[in-house]
Amino acid sequence: MSDKLKQIINKQTQQQDSVVEQLDDVVQLVGFIIGEEEYAIPILSIQEIIKPFSWTRVPQVPAYVLGVFNLRGSVIPLIDLRVKFGLTPKKQNEDTRFIVMRDGDDVAGFVIDRLTMAIRIKKENIGAAPDTVNSDDTIIEGVGKQSDRIITILKVNKLLKRDF
Amino acid sequence: MDEFQEILQDFLVEAFELVEKLDEDLVELESTPEDLELLNGIFRVAHTVKGASSFLNFDILTHLTHHMEDVLNRARHGELKITPDVMDVILESVDLMKALLEKIRDTSSDDGIDVSACVARLDKITGGDGEVQAPVTSVPVEEVIHEEVVEEASDEEEIDYDSMSPEEVEAEIERLLQERQEEDRKKREAKIAAGEKVPTMPDEPSEDEVVATPKETPIATPAVHVENKVNQEKAKASAPARKTPASVEQTIRVDVKRLDHLMNLIGELVLAKNRLIKINDDVEERYEGEEFLEELNQVVSIVSLVTTDLQIAVMKTRMLPVGKVFNKFPRMIRDLSRELNKKIDLVISGEDTELDKSIVEEIGDPLVHIIRNSCDHGIETPEERTAKGKPELGTITLKAYNEGNQIVIQIDDDGKGLDAQMLKNKSLEKGLITEKEADQMSEKEAFTLIFKPGFSTAAAVTNVSGRGVGMDVVKTNIEKLNGIIDIDSEVGKGTSMKLKIPLTLAIIQALLVGVQEEHYAIPLASVLETVRISKDEIYTVEGKSVMRLRDDVLSLVHIGDIFEVERILDANDFAYVVVLGLGTSKLGLIVDTLVGQEEIVIKSLGDYLKGIEGIAGATIRGDGGVTLIVDVVALMNMAREVKASALIDTESGTSVSKEKTKASDYVVMIVDDSKTDRMIMRKALEPLGVTLVEASDGQEALNTLKAGDYNFDAMLIDIEMPRMDGYSLASEIKKYNRYKNLPLIAVTSRTSKSDRMRGVESGMVEYITKPYSADYLSSVVQRNVNFKSEFL
Repeated sequence: MSDKLKQIINKQTQQQDSVVEQLDDVVQLVGFIIGEEEYAIPILSIQEIIKPFSWTRVPQVPAYVLGVFNLRGSVIPLIDLRVKFGLTPKKQNEDTRFIVMRDGDDVAGFVIDRLTMAIRIKKENIGAAPDTVNSDDTIIEGVGKQSDRIITILKVNKLLKRDF
Repeated sequence: MDEFQEILQDFLVEAFELVEKLDEDLVELESTPEDLELLNGIFRVAHTVKGASSFLNFDILTHLTHHMEDVLNRARHGELKITPDVMDVILESVDLMKALLEKIRDTSSDDGIDVSACVARLDKITGGDGEVQAPVTSVPVEEVIHEEVVEEASDEEEIDYDSMSPEEVEAEIERLLQERQEEDRKKREAKIAAGEKVPTMPDEPSEDEVVATPKETPIATPAVHVENKVNQEKAKASAPARKTPASVEQTIRVDVKRLDHLMNLIGELVLAKNRLIKINDDVEERYEGEEFLEELNQVVSIVSLVTTDLQIAVMKTRMLPVGKVFNKFPRMIRDLSRELNKKIDLVISGEDTELDKSIVEEIGDPLVHIIRNSCDHGIETPEERTAKGKPELGTITLKAYNEGNQIVIQIDDDGKGLDAQMLKNKSLEKGLITEKEADQMSEKEAFTLIFKPGFSTAAAVTNVSGRGVGMDVVKTNIEKLNGIIDIDSEVGKGTSMKLKIPLTLAIIQALLVGVQEEHYAIPLASVLETVRISKDEIYTVEGKSVMRLRDDVLSLVHIGDIFEVERILDANDFAYVVVLGLGTSKLGLIVDTLVGQEEIVIKSLGDYLKGIEGIAGATIRGDGGVTLIVDVVALMNMAREVKASALIDTESGTSVSKEKTKASDYVVMIVDDSKTDRMIMRKALEPLGVTLVEASDGQEALNTLKAGDYNFDAMLIDIEMPRMDGYSLASEIKKYNRYKNLPLIAVTSRTSKSDRMRGVESGMVEYITKPYSADYLSSVVQRNVNFKSEFL
């Protein structure tokens, strides 16, 4: 490769880096409600959000794994976050949604009570998870402070990891 | 460097393919040393690899192949006779070549493997001066050269003609081309003369494309002729390496991932098609007799036809001939027979039989084990054979053929066969079975003892087989592919093993069964039969359910006990038993209903849910729902631990009867398709103050009931309704334990006695005929829900 070309490419990558840096200041999240709490996950880890439909029970799994469902030809596990977070199961209603999250090759659908909104939050407004839960296997990424409320940001890769 | 990598990849793929074929050819050559065409083919492989590797600067590989080429060249000219000893050296060099290629694949460099010993031996054969020169490998230099070489070499191919100047090469190519064109022309003329149509050849074929482009297959044969001529004319200076394929295959290489993706897309298309068919049916019902229906029908059937064809076509792209695995066996047998001092002949047939790629990949190792076993334990030494009056040459037959939806790979040998008694004694000795078991064992069951872990029959452990591993691994591997192994043997005559394997892993025939409201798919390959039994045919022995099946006792297990199915539905008096068979073990699986046989596409449950015991995967059904596939092997293991509870525990309906504190605590469902009728009933019951829920047909009523939003105290049901009529609704409801005591009241204009009878049969408690007075309806409802008078 000629030196000139290298220089150009280097320049370009530098420019890209700076763009990314600017974007990095703001995190885009999608907020949702489970029980009384508002949680959020990064928008980029969401494959899609769909209305609930039927699923098939799978034996020998914890109660929070409802089963599997068919997402356009792929068989995907369905996890009830209410049950996973220790709340009592609730009948699905009009507001219930399945959020299909993806991390690399891992995909799963999560049942949530209600969606709130897409949230843009500055990185500096995200605090670390409270000390009490600050261990390696917490599923809390951090706590986002908004003007009127705080939002628990979840780790998608932890949610998608099998823990049974 | 990317360009280099790309070329390297191509080279490796090509080289591995060539080497694979080489093995087979060499063994064949040993038996027919005079076959010049075969020799030429082998020579060309060595030559191609040499050319390409020198081009890519793999000095060691070039060095080795150069010497191989020398030997083969001499043989080709009749200056050297191919003896087994010569063949040993050649095969050794092929192995080295493979090792080098693998090294290159893994590390992109070929140093670290010493070839000098082998080269020396090769030289000795050629009768050369014995001067063995290990190539000087200088890695750092190599790195630098790569790029340059690529640039230079891409337009001139002088590397192969090291002794010629570029002009001479040009001239040579020109001459060869002309020569071939001449030949082609003659052939064409001859054909035209014979009255055949001949595809016209492009006027000026570019030198690189002529041989390699698939669309010009008609000239492939002449091309080979020229090639041979080239080789003969100038054996030392050779034709360009990249132009040497013996025949032009009309194939392209495609990444398997792309095929998988295509397969997934088609799976989605099939689902969409199924829905389309369903919608078409609905539309047909609704707009009966309309003209556009005809057209819609046609479109739907064309779409479904094409989709099915497409599915089959894509599936076929994944199929590979099983010969790909068989190829390596002639060489293996040759080596083994020399090592064991036995005379063994391998007869292969049916190598064109096709199997899914993933199976072809999996089946190699088990076959190696089986064939090794046959050589080592099966075939006797020539002396023993002569003593027994058998021909000295032992024969192992390897054949593949289709049998229904399965492919059968059969391995026969004419060796000493399996001695059932000896196998039993051996297993007893090793504590693999008890004496009682041994006594009860049939001959066939005794043969399967060789698949037990820790079993080895060879008196002496050789390095070929007999370490006691292998055959049990074979069994697990075959079972993993949903296949089964069948052994037959006769002492002194030989052994025959049949591996029965499904055609593809992705699509299997399955038996769909229902338990309560769930469905499961059981691979049909492991289903022996299904029987309908009544409950009193089930006996309990030592805490396990069993039944008599003809002369045998079959142990039973309820699928609901294995998969923790909640018992919502009332148990029937009858059940179905699916008799599962794996090898010699059998198990009866009790299910509630048999749904039918279906071709299903296996999907993995993904990382999150993998490894669930008893579940092999999932499939997507025509209605878009997911059905789990039963893992029969695991299920049989699980069945041993499950306690018998089959069919017996029908708990009395646990209907939630909460204390009623006000009139609106009573909930009554009104099911009628007519809005007016619903209104009349509503008006009659509203004064009571009870909560009323409406449904416009049976299906809707059932769904509302199942949703569990209300605890109904009674249902008023019209008989004639679309989708599901009142009788069917009543009998559906009565299937559920928890609704057993729910009063169902028929409200209908049907007055005949037989209608009333039917109502009672389907579980209705009251029968009100229209028209009725509001007071009468109200009093009937009050009576049935035990309405407390204080609420009035």
